[in-house]
Amino acid sequence: MDSLAPHTEVRVAVAQCFRTLSTSAEPEDIISSLQTLHSFLDEGPESRSTPDQRAEFSRAHFTRTLQFLLSNIQADWLLGLSAAQRTDLWDGLFLRGPPEQALVVLMEGISELKASTSLDLLISITERFLLSGRLAALLWSSCMQTAPSDSPQLRETLLARIVALPDLTANRLHLKNKPCFCPQQYFTLLASEMLTALERTCQALKDGTDCSLIFVAQTLGKVCVQGHSGPVFAVMAPRLSVCTRSDMVWQRVCWKLLQNVPQRWMESVLTGLVQAVRGPDAFGRIVGNLVLTNKKAQYVVTHKLLLLQYKYETQVLRTVLGYLAADRERRPLLLQVLRALSQAWANPSAVRHTPLEQQLYVSKALLLSVNLLRDAELQELRSELLQCMLGGMQSHLDSSVVRIRHMGMVVGECLSARMDLNNTKLKFEYDQDEETLELLSLMTPISGEEPEEEPENGVTSPQETSEKTPSTQNASCQNKSKSDPGSDLDSDDEFSPYDMSADQEMTKESPRYLRDCLETLISSEDSVRVELSLRVAEALVRKNVFAAREISVQLTKVLLHTEDKYSIRGFLSLRQTTMVALTVTDCIPVTQYLTTEFYSMNYGLRQRLDILEVLALAAQELSKPISEERSPSVGVSSCTDLTLYPGDNPVHWRQVVERRIQSKTKRLTKGATQPPAKATPNRYAPVAGHFFFPLLSNYDKPQVTFDLLGGDHLVLGRLIHTMGLFMHLAVNAPVAAQMGRALLDFVWAVRYHVDQMVRRGVLFAVCSVFLSMPSQNLLVDLNEQLFETRTWLADVAEGDPDEDCRNLAIQSLVLLDKSLKKQLQDQQALDMET
Amino acid sequence: MSRAAPSPIFTLRGAGAPLNTLHFSCHGGDTPLLFSGSGKGAIHMWNLNTRRAETVAEGHSGNSVVWVNTLQGTDTLISQGRDMRVCLWDLSEGRTAVLDSLWTGSVGFCQCSLLEMSTETHLLAFAGQQTEEIKIVELPSKTPVCTLIPDAKLGMVMCIKLWQPDSGPGPLLLAGYEDGSLLLWDVTQRAQLSQTKAHPEPVMCLTFDPQCLRGVSGSSEKDLCSWRLDGQNNLQLQDSVPLVNPGVSQLCVRGDGKLLASAGWDHRVRIFGWKKLRPLAVLQYHTDLVLSVAFSDHQDPRQRLLAAGSKDQRISLWSIFNEGADTG
Repeated sequence: MDSLAPHTEVRVAVAQCFRTLSTSAEPEDIISSLQTLHSFLDEGPESRSTPDQRAEFSRAHFTRTLQFLLSNIQADWLLGLSAAQRTDLWDGLFLRGPPEQALVVLMEGISELKASTSLDLLISITERFLLSGRLAALLWSSCMQTAPSDSPQLRETLLARIVALPDLTANRLHLKNKPCFCPQQYFTLLASEMLTALERTCQALKDGTDCSLIFVAQTLGKVCVQGHSGPVFAVMAPRLSVCTRSDMVWQRVCWKLLQNVPQRWMESVLTGLVQAVRGPDAFGRIVGNLVLTNKKAQYVVTHKLLLLQYKYETQVLRTVLGYLAADRERRPLLLQVLRALSQAWANPSAVRHTPLEQQLYVSKALLLSVNLLRDAELQELRSELLQCMLGGMQSHLDSSVVRIRHMGMVVGECLSARMDLNNTKLKFEYDQDEETLELLSLMTPISGEEPEEEPENGVTSPQETSEKTPSTQNASCQNKSKSDPGSDLDSDDEFSPYDMSADQEMTKESPRYLRDCLETLISSEDSVRVELSLRVAEALVRKNVFAAREISVQLTKVLLHTEDKYSIRGFLSLRQTTMVALTVTDCIPVTQYLTTEFYSMNYGLRQRLDILEVLALAAQELSKPISEERSPSVGVSSCTDLTLYPGDNPVHWRQVVERRIQSKTKRLTKGATQPPAKATPNRYAPVAGHFFFPLLSNYDKPQVTFDLLGGDHLVLGRLIHTMGLFMHLAVNAPVAAQMGRALLDFVWAVRYHVDQMVRRGVLFAVCSVFLSMPSQNLLVDLNEQLFETRTWLADVAEGDPDEDCRNLAIQSLVLLDKSLKKQLQDQQALDMET
Repeated sequence: MSRAAPSPIFTLRGAGAPLNTLHFSCHGGDTPLLFSGSGKGAIHMWNLNTRRAETVAEGHSGNSVVWVNTLQGTDTLISQGRDMRVCLWDLSEGRTAVLDSLWTGSVGFCQCSLLEMSTETHLLAFAGQQTEEIKIVELPSKTPVCTLIPDAKLGMVMCIKLWQPDSGPGPLLLAGYEDGSLLLWDVTQRAQLSQTKAHPEPVMCLTFDPQCLRGVSGSSEKDLCSWRLDGQNNLQLQDSVPLVNPGVSQLCVRGDGKLLASAGWDHRVRIFGWKKLRPLAVLQYHTDLVLSVAFSDHQDPRQRLLAAGSKDQRISLWSIFNEGADTG
């Protein structure tokens, strides 16, 4: 019974101490019993206790002791101790015993105590506990498996306490929380403590001791899944990346660590890590071949990061794909990923129904992975890729969203260039913008070494940059000094000439009469005369209204059919402004003509879109109050500057929608429509119907060349948008109620159109109906439709893949509610009066 | 890679008539001013800080003002109108009153030329009543100094420039005539020193740089003609500079003798290097003939402006080639 002896000895001694502490009032007794308790923790040669005793105390009595101390925290003897004695004897027990037990007891105490000096005492002990590296000791002891019992409950509790420490303290302390308990600091600390534990593990492994990383891995997993992967990996990733570069033991430790992360937390650990590491090599060294052994990791890396989530930076894509490509065993996964990506990219339904950002993300991933392929692998995948490219390009180019079309063009170009189809390449014309440039840049591989320069503690990088800057300055100085001596020789060279290419010969006299313009446009073959006529036409129309009225329809017809035969600068905008001027000047006949022509045969899409734009601009101009001096110079200067035709510019289209929405929201916050400074008759109100109703009459009669409800959804989208604009401008017009009813009827049929431009148009139209229709009409006339409309809008606001559509739907709902509320209040007020 | 064509830094609108002439007064006083004479007889005084017309003076009974200038050192403005009168204005303490006026008798468009003899006295040269006649009077006494009439039939006087050479006793006068001739007159001797035929068409404008004794003249055709005076006061034609479009209304050399500006009938202002007449910039803004150009006389060279007045009733102001200002 030798083994029992230390147990009983210790138990007796501890019980003795407890008794003394709870009964005695003598300071000497108190101090000596506390010292006795301490003696069971002391290690080293002068220790009074045997190792057996110490082990027994740690196993069975330490937690009890601490709990006892806590329950006597208000006792007189504690207050009787001097500060030094207390720190040494009382606090020391918490800081020197097995850290896991101490932490659990401390956290328990903190959550039980109310605000008091005792709580402050515990908090300060906890603070010292953290700052004195006890967490590392805790983790390390778990690595050594010296933890007393591996009971799952204890582990679970401990894990929960470690991860939830910031929450517990914050809940208890509110505003008085200590900085080291704040998540940012605490998790940084925890990360470095984990690193310390890992480092000791490495050392131990080198010395031939076995270690277990299960607890550290669990801690890591739990921290990440609670959303703190950012601060943790900000500390850990650079260090791990450096350590694993040369040290195989470190690599093994990292792999083991990640393998031990429980399945349910694997995803958050991996996503956190992949965002924090710089470059695929570092990621590969830390993770190893985890994707091959761990199903969950494989799913996250090959599927979830690439195809399901799309919030990450391009760097993450580079890391993930580069990681897959870097190892022979992982390469099959790359091919598998590439197949999945190309299918996702080419899927016509995805093009239509997934958010644009996701499509961009998939496009980036596709380009990156294609770029990583070797030629042999490319040969193997060639037919599949070709299939994907052709199908995908078709669905991308079909889209009415410019960005999607551009994406299709760029990806098509890059794929065809990479596949080397008999030395033929696709080449599209598109405007280079940030997005296309970024996509194109993905095809040039970043040299692998560059991002790997990971300084130990970030000291070297500022030096590097500071070295670089003077060199560029030097260069510029040299340039200057080179140019300087030349200037002294001749003073004219002091000035560098401006671009003088625009200095062309003046052309002939421009026509003075509108009829001359008309004649020229009809019959002249002289490009100069045609250009001059076009340039002065708008000014002439506005100058002489009566002359313009005589030939308005004729001139409109000619302009509508004029083609840019001579590549005149700003042709489209010149033609458009003139047609707008004609429409404004002689409203009814011209609108009649244009609206009829919109549905007639033998027009191109471009012309039909032109008609819509001219009508929209004219309506806008009419609805503005007449400004006293429409200075002709505005027109002149704008047509020299304005070379871009608005319709050609995709940004413009979106901006206009945005601006219109914004202008409306502003009006809402200001209350009702602002009263104009001076009352002027609204020129648009009497003629609004002429703009609006003819366009509604024929939309469902498909023709050979023009099928509005079929393939020509580009025009349909614009048409609905234009109608919405007419509606919006018709606010306060008597005809607004009828227009609103008709418009709602019209758009109802196409509200779930596949094309997002059409849907946007529909939502814009609905918005403008709610804005412009008087609220009593809204309630009375549209009574039965309103409920359905509301349900539909709520549906769109929740589920539409297009962000603009969702926003517009929310906007409409808000407008509708406002309008209805106002109406109901008015009615109540009326009822009260009667 | 040449820089993109410049644009005006601001414009002055509201004159309501073509702007025939411009004159800066920025060297002294608090506010830099720009005087402009309009086709409807108004003289606008534009404050260049507020960029608004401070005062508008009307003194030529609605007739076009073809020339304005200020007498150095005094608050006196001088203006010439097509009502055949030259008016002297008192501008001190915010007044705008006609002090004196002088009948010229000229029906042409020839702008006067003013030469400061001392702080008090000025010489004013103007076209007279007869076709080829140039008269010179002393201001403010209005004493006639001389009348210059060439021997040959040269047509109307189109433009004149009076200046005082460094060497030589009296002032000299350059005059351009309707038949394209340039004449150099000695005012004190009343003698014709030199004559040359610079243009086939009437000389529309000329400017002369007394520092390097070079001048340039413009006409209704496509060339600017440059010429110089040799030691014996002989006019020698030098190379001509081709323009893209014909017609020049006015020429102006910047105070530091580095730039030449031309007001073109093609709505454009052209900038040349004055030394070699190298084209440097074409300023496109106006939508009708540019009638006048002027460089400002700011003391700080970096603030220097170029103003152009046009038939489109606007004045455009440009800040151009002021970077290397430290040398000038």
